[in-house]
Amino acid sequence: MASQQILFSPAELAYLHRSLSLKPPIRPDGRAPTQFRPLTAETGILPGTNGSARVHFSDGTEAIVGVKAEIEKTIEAPRAEESKPESNEAASERTRGDWLELAVEIPGQRDDEASTVFLSEMLREALLADKEFAKKLFINRRFHWRLYLDVLLISPPLSYPLPLLSLTTHLALLATRLPRLKSEGDEDPMFDDDWEASTFLYPQEGTATNGSRPPITLLVVAIGDNVIFDPAKEELAVAETALAVSVAEVRRAQKAGDMEVDSKGRELSLLSIRTIDPPSRLTPPGVPHTSNTGSSAFAPTKLQKAGDQETEGVWKAPLGGTKFGVLDGIIQAVLEKGGVADEVLDGLEGVELS
Amino acid sequence: MPITVLQPQPAAKRQAAAMSVDSDSDSDSGGGAEVHGEDILTPGTVITSNSQWMRGHGTYVQPGETAITSSLAGTLTKTNKLLSVRPLRARYTPEIGDLVVGRIVEVQAKRWRVDVAASQLAILQISAINLPGGILRKRTETDELQIRSFFAEGDLVVAEVQQLHQDGAASLHTRSLKYGKLRNGVFVSVSGIGGGSGVVRAKRQVWTMDVANAGGKVDVLLGVNGYIWISKHIESDTNAEAVGINRMEESVSSKVYSSQNDPLELSTMREIARIRSVILALVENRLKVDEDMVTKGYSEAVELGRESPDDDLYLGGEKGQRLAAALTGH
Amino acid sequence: MPLDTSTYSLALLRVDGRRWNELRRLHAQIRTQDAADGSSYLEMGHTKVMCIVTGPSEQQQQRRGQTSQRDAAAINVNVVIAGFSSVDRKKSGRNDKRIQEIEVTIANALASNLHTHLFPHSSITISLHVLSQDGSLLAALLNATTLALIDAGIPMTDYIAACTAGSTSTYAAGDDSADPLLDLNNQEEQELPFLTVATLGDSDRIAVLVCESRVQVTRLEGMLVVGVDGCKQVKQFLDQVVREKGAEMVREGAVEKSDAMGMVLDE
Repeated sequence: MASQQILFSPAELAYLHRSLSLKPPIRPDGRAPTQFRPLTAETGILPGTNGSARVHFSDGTEAIVGVKAEIEKTIEAPRAEESKPESNEAASERTRGDWLELAVEIPGQRDDEASTVFLSEMLREALLADKEFAKKLFINRRFHWRLYLDVLLISPPLSYPLPLLSLTTHLALLATRLPRLKSEGDEDPMFDDDWEASTFLYPQEGTATNGSRPPITLLVVAIGDNVIFDPAKEELAVAETALAVSVAEVRRAQKAGDMEVDSKGRELSLLSIRTIDPPSRLTPPGVPHTSNTGSSAFAPTKLQKAGDQETEGVWKAPLGGTKFGVLDGIIQAVLEKGGVADEVLDGLEGVELS
Repeated sequence: MPITVLQPQPAAKRQAAAMSVDSDSDSDSGGGAEVHGEDILTPGTVITSNSQWMRGHGTYVQPGETAITSSLAGTLTKTNKLLSVRPLRARYTPEIGDLVVGRIVEVQAKRWRVDVAASQLAILQISAINLPGGILRKRTETDELQIRSFFAEGDLVVAEVQQLHQDGAASLHTRSLKYGKLRNGVFVSVSGIGGGSGVVRAKRQVWTMDVANAGGKVDVLLGVNGYIWISKHIESDTNAEAVGINRMEESVSSKVYSSQNDPLELSTMREIARIRSVILALVENRLKVDEDMVTKGYSEAVELGRESPDDDLYLGGEKGQRLAAALTGH
Repeated sequence: MPLDTSTYSLALLRVDGRRWNELRRLHAQIRTQDAADGSSYLEMGHTKVMCIVTGPSEQQQQRRGQTSQRDAAAINVNVVIAGFSSVDRKKSGRNDKRIQEIEVTIANALASNLHTHLFPHSSITISLHVLSQDGSLLAALLNATTLALIDAGIPMTDYIAACTAGSTSTYAAGDDSADPLLDLNNQEEQELPFLTVATLGDSDRIAVLVCESRVQVTRLEGMLVVGVDGCKQVKQFLDQVVREKGAEMVREGAVEKSDAMGMVLDE
């Protein structure tokens, strides 16, 4: 079905805004500002894919992501002879973004609609941001893996689907395995038929490889000075600012002699912050008691102008941008040790990869 | 834990009840005493060929035959000689006299179209609302031009179903002081009737409760269509209640169509959030939503809230299950 | 040749070990998504599909210039085939004719089966997602749609139960002793002639019949008979799924039990 307008009455919006501006904010379902709704997650549901995951929230929104990998011939760009011999660093410098194809399917919307394209770009850019991704897909100088990520949103889009899709993509990538390479050098690739011997795209703990983990994108809103995570659609409707924050964990290879890294000591890297237009900007203002034309038979003598002093209890759409202090607060809350990103990544790591 | 990630629940083990797998077309031939799986009617199942019965909702008769066949999956209801099938789950169908909460989705020339979670939008005519300034005020052309000053798109309204049209669409009216535009509160939507999660038709759909923690009074309004409104109770003028028909003009206040909220205390807002969580927990755990359950659930929730130092309001997931267990244990 | 005729005539077993008249493993769940009006998940062998039904509800925006004056509910079917559903990753665009034809076939089958006259001015939206394909695609989609519509409580005349039937020999081979086959997988569908048939409940009335391969007309009747028989088996299975869910809901107290049935009615 075409994009449904989630309608709210000005009275509801005024109430929600007041409720969320309090210190501490009272969320409609009573959650803490950094508390996420419970979600159900499973991986390995599609045996025909290299990796798959399914996540669904308690409000019924559901997404499935499937990852498939295919061999592709690497097209060599003609280079002048003075260049250094091809090295791994040079290959990744070119950030082979076209080795990854990401498609998002939202029911009822065409794939060339602006919102769908925006979503897929946000997910894709977060994946490629660390420039390490291409290395994982490298086989030899003539061939590489091309990874196809198909993201399906199963339920009709009631709330902004970005965090759901991002979490599902993260899990699917963690569960993705590639067949083990048997050939050597630059010869035509030959792989081990035994799927048990396949290697994870994102190697598990303990293996001595550099490389980050797949990113997650969190949706954060700010109302007044309050920062709220995992907003429900009501909270998004009164948000003054909405941001999509992408973070990834960076894992460094353990060199001999290094101390045991504390499991809580994750190193997080902030990949991107994107602003999202909150739907609150488009809401009509509420009508206060005094200028309510319904109260008298005469036409009003003074019209409510936008920019008039706010009347208490009457909704007015938020204007203007975000304060720096609020942005700073959001980044702090996401990145600090034991902060939101840490908790979410902890929760996701607990999911068994089948 | 700010985030809880759960494993998917496997489909509940079906009890090894002796369910015979008879082919459904035989279900009218007296299944005997152990009617268990046979209790459920499915589309295409013949209920009876006996012509003394009349057919109601959820059934049909093949042209040229006398057998009454079910068109839904559900259970059978007999009212005198009328056979109908109650579906396991269905959308709300309006009945005359239902108290419903609706959201205005369209404003037309002399009426509004209201979403009441039914298969069609309901109609609210401008002649069916109370015009401020008095019940007996004459409707003028200016009223029609300023129709949005009464209700605009997105507004929530509580109304009663006045009549049903031929095609099943409902006509609403708000011609009473207890109906009208809603404010000072929050909205919750629970899925359609039947299927256990949903609002049941009861004698009292609206009530006022005293809430804990010095929250004052809170009104709860359970629309039969599954739309619920929880708000702070505003004391209406006691004079208005006692006034006779001659003084009705003054009793429709000028505030009726405003969307300005009255000042709300923190404690009241907290308790409203708590009631909302209780209702959502009832729905998640497949319990009926009616005055009794909500009131009992609320007192349980207050108890649960006392367990955590800062009175945690959230009732999703595990806490909600404890709440449900406590209620069904009664 | 998937049947590898030499071994087939020896043991009469197909590649996956089935005989000519055996259906693949069927698995289905109803009410998989609480937020939707009706939902279902169905597996026929390795073909996995999900169906979400929304409605009947009134659409404010009119699509494709249709007027809102309709005596019966409009049925909109939307099929999404995931890129990872087949062995080779293949993304089908919006204008894929094959998908459009599937959508129209399903919508037409439902138009005569659902009691849409009870919901004028409304529309019913059906979203189908194909997660994995291994033959019998249209049949699986029809079965999943039926289950989801029953879950949504939309009245209908009867189940639409579907399956595929084929023949052990291609048209070109002209083998007169060819046997009919039930429920073909992807490999078999690519090599052998087959048709998709759907019946109304367990009667012999056919609701859908699609045959896109060349086959001698003398073999057609045999295939059809086998197909219809397969549909009856599928209907039994679907009915069982619905009854179990219903009994579970009655046990949970979510729905009230039936008033006395059976002998009482016939007095």
